[in-house]
Amino acid sequence: MSNGKIISQEPIIELKHIDKHFGSLHVLKDINLTVHKGEVVVIIGPSGSGKSTLCRTINRLETIDSGEIVIDGSVMPKEGKKLAELRSQIGMVFQSFNLFAHKTILDNVTIAPRDVLKKSKREAEEEAMQLLKRVGVDSQAGKVPAQLSGGQQQRVAIARSLAMHPKAILFDEPTSALDPEMIGEVLDVMTELARDGMTMVIVTHEMNFARRVADRVIFMDGGSILEEAAPEEFFAAPKTQRARDFLNSLGDRESRS
Amino acid sequence: MMSVGELLSQFGDKYLQALWTTYGLTVLCFAGALVLGIAITVMRICPIKPLQWFGDFYVQIFRNIPGAALLIVLVYALPYLRVMLSYYMCVLVAVTLIPSSFCSEYLMAGMNTIGAGQIEAARSLGMTFFQIVKNVVLPQALRSTVLQMTNLLVATMLTTALASQVPLNPADLTGIVTYINTHAVGGITAFMISAFFYAVTAVVIGQIGNRIDKKVRILR
Repeated sequence: MSNGKIISQEPIIELKHIDKHFGSLHVLKDINLTVHKGEVVVIIGPSGSGKSTLCRTINRLETIDSGEIVIDGSVMPKEGKKLAELRSQIGMVFQSFNLFAHKTILDNVTIAPRDVLKKSKREAEEEAMQLLKRVGVDSQAGKVPAQLSGGQQQRVAIARSLAMHPKAILFDEPTSALDPEMIGEVLDVMTELARDGMTMVIVTHEMNFARRVADRVIFMDGGSILEEAAPEEFFAAPKTQRARDFLNSLGDRESRS
Repeated sequence: MMSVGELLSQFGDKYLQALWTTYGLTVLCFAGALVLGIAITVMRICPIKPLQWFGDFYVQIFRNIPGAALLIVLVYALPYLRVMLSYYMCVLVAVTLIPSSFCSEYLMAGMNTIGAGQIEAARSLGMTFFQIVKNVVLPQALRSTVLQMTNLLVATMLTTALASQVPLNPADLTGIVTYINTHAVGGITAFMISAFFYAVTAVVIGQIGNRIDKKVRILR
């Protein structure tokens, strides 16, 4: 595939015939998607295309009308302990970071390993410090989220996800709320994760990043997956008119700015 | 009419006992109101509908009836159900139930300050409802409602004056005025002394509350 990376055929995330309505709006139309171990899937599309909804559906933060979500062979139930357990295996990084405002950076990273995975405080903190170091914010461990920049907060959010040793991480527009000068530092961390073999589903508007990091690009519009291809193939020769229009509109915007 | 000095020299120890009665009731009732208020709030936000209904109903009842009426029910009606509580217990229960409903209302308001995103983040980390309540919802709701809870503590103290409506020994700060005025001629001065104790305590509570609030307020 694109990076010369060999992707296993072991499915981590399987979405089967997912349908969802917001009232009368059909936001997800018969979505079928399989993400394999170690694969980086980037979802792009115009706003309102359903890409964020799809991403949030994977760990059932969004309810669905019908269909099945399978995480590493286990069907994700609608509610209950099993749902929580499967969610703990899938990390999630949000557009607005969503760090716990009342906890220090260190506690943000240790709380789930301690309370969900029942790790000891010492073990959780040692690992958290390593992860914070890996994303470059270990010097901020004692501060609270509001004292950090957006880029730093998002990197903490990534560390918080990693602390659960997830089988995959979902990124829902992770750089859309960031000032331009901070986007790079977050994308760098994500690029490194991808290189280390993390399974990732990323909703983003960063096309250069998608080109560089994706193993597969998914183009959505109107609640459907319209195209699925390797990035070089998709960006060079999109098959559908809508994908061409979308890429052209981005080109216009970039040349204007 | 007796002077402040005469009243204090003759009834000083009675006032002191009354002060302790009021303080004791205040502490017990407020602690009970907090615990009950938290429990009721958890019911109101939990995914189980009947518990939500119960929580809402509870708050509507105890927020909307006068404390004196509740006390009368406890003292005069409960014995018909073969439940006999001491006068002290009746006061304790009445002055716990009413503030507990306000406590729940404040907590519900405090929860609105928590971004929905934080709850989603907690869910995505695999936390269950109770883990989210314990780790994210309650700590933030409590820390953002310190000033309301401070006011609730003052209000609870003032509501313990209901104890003056039942025979307690030792009496509370309000009850002691009646006692003094039936044994001597204290007049309004006897009441002013009690009022002074209430006011000083309330001011001190307010100051402590302000300080706690500054310390635990969540940066956003």
